[in-house]
Amino acid sequence: MLNKLNIRRRTELPLKEDKANFFLEISTAISVFLFSMALVAYFMTSAVISSWRESIIDGLTVQILPPSEQILPDEETLRIGKVIHFFEGLSGVEKVAVVKEKQIKKLMTPWLGANADLEALPLPKLLNVRLSDGKTFDFEKAGDDLKEIAPYASIDNHGIWLKKLIKSATSLKSLSLFVLILVLSVAVFSILYAVGTSLKVHQNIIEILHIMGATDNYVAKQYALRGFFVGFFSSLAGTLMAFLALRIVSHLSSGLETGLIGAVSLGFEHWTVLALIPLFSAVLSMVTSFFCVKHTLKEMM
Amino acid sequence: MEAHKNILTEPIIDMQNVSIRYGKDPEVLSDIKLSLEKGSFHFLTGKSGAGKTSLLSMMYLALKPSRGTLNVFGANVGYARREDMAMMRRKIGVVFQDFRLLEHLSAYDNVAVPLRVRGMGENEIRKRVKELLSWVELDKSMDKICSTLSGGEKQRVAIARAVINRPEILLADEPTGNVDDDIAFKLMKLFVELNKLGTTVVIATHSTDLIARYNYPQIHLENKGLKIIPALRRVKNAE
Repeated sequence: MLNKLNIRRRTELPLKEDKANFFLEISTAISVFLFSMALVAYFMTSAVISSWRESIIDGLTVQILPPSEQILPDEETLRIGKVIHFFEGLSGVEKVAVVKEKQIKKLMTPWLGANADLEALPLPKLLNVRLSDGKTFDFEKAGDDLKEIAPYASIDNHGIWLKKLIKSATSLKSLSLFVLILVLSVAVFSILYAVGTSLKVHQNIIEILHIMGATDNYVAKQYALRGFFVGFFSSLAGTLMAFLALRIVSHLSSGLETGLIGAVSLGFEHWTVLALIPLFSAVLSMVTSFFCVKHTLKEMM
Repeated sequence: MEAHKNILTEPIIDMQNVSIRYGKDPEVLSDIKLSLEKGSFHFLTGKSGAGKTSLLSMMYLALKPSRGTLNVFGANVGYARREDMAMMRRKIGVVFQDFRLLEHLSAYDNVAVPLRVRGMGENEIRKRVKELLSWVELDKSMDKICSTLSGGEKQRVAIARAVINRPEILLADEPTGNVDDDIAFKLMKLFVELNKLGTTVVIATHSTDLIARYNYPQIHLENKGLKIIPALRRVKNAE
């Protein structure tokens, strides 16, 4: 007969009705949103830094200044050949190529305009030097040696200014890491606060449960389960907000000519990590709730 | 053989020079010495404020003595681990004067709590709870939320919750205070039956009628101490 009765089992601790729930849900959703954005910033700066580092390693540019006086074409070829020969003799150099005049003109057009008479300008010759192992290549020594044999040529090592950019980007990366830690700490403290408040509110029920023989684990499991669901669903909302924000940012920036970072985008592994945030948050919320309850209950009864 | 005898005769609750003090207030109970044998039945009496609730709280392990030694089931409570305390509490049934039911739960769920904390299966819980709630005439109120029950119904739920686990010790604070004579008689009969099955029973009461009707000794609290008043007469119609 009892099986036919409509008895709906409710948990001993009415955690669903906690006033702190709303606070926890909102703060978790916001924390996860900020965490996701900071994580994206971290991924992006890491990717940019990595790409810049690669470009430093990949090669260098050599600038050969035009002669101060008019010289014969053969002499000009000799001057350039001397520099090419110098680089070809260096270990770690894979390929040396002269940048074509057409390309130089194309590079200059944004600065001088399409109608400028480039023929009349004493433009330098450029060499692209591709390195097989840029990590071990001694840019400084190569520059000094080059100056001795061809004082009219100099290495335009874009690594110098890229290094400055990398330094700034690394600071941004560290900042996003700091924000990640900060947001994570705020989330943990919010959980601790909400659980602590709830334990005080339900102290009477917990005492009764203890008297009935409930272990600390029994009580903590109810909080952990609630923590998991609150953590998961609030984080899901936060993550969806972050995805939406990223979509908007991506849409707004699609028209911009971002020469340095335009090519950088999130990979599959990054999206996977972002998608796993609700699960991570749920587990964090569950574990934090469980241990907070266990710790607090030690002070009771 | 001697060791076996010692186990059998070892008091189920033993207090040696036990005192209770709340904060820096004067002691509520001082140098209490009390040994309750397994299967004994006592009334706990004394004026209001004499320390009945404090003594019961120590017995159901919600309160540790400020001084002295308290042994329950042969274990010194002062040295017991939290897990062990929980296991000991599962063998103790408690009826509170103010019921202390979980008001947001149904009568059924309240009675099921002691079984659920033990990890018992829901089928077995249903069987036991249904049987007991029918016995205390609450079978029609099983799914009612406790806050909607009358005082008498709440008291019966509280008693059902205390005995559902078939406890080794049953402690009750004014358990018949809110019910009519018929139910009170039925509940006392339940306590007596449990006692016959080996449960140690302590009932705190102000009711001289109840004490007079049943032939059990009294633990009487007075002037921060206690004295045992033995059972003097046998009332044949008590059961």
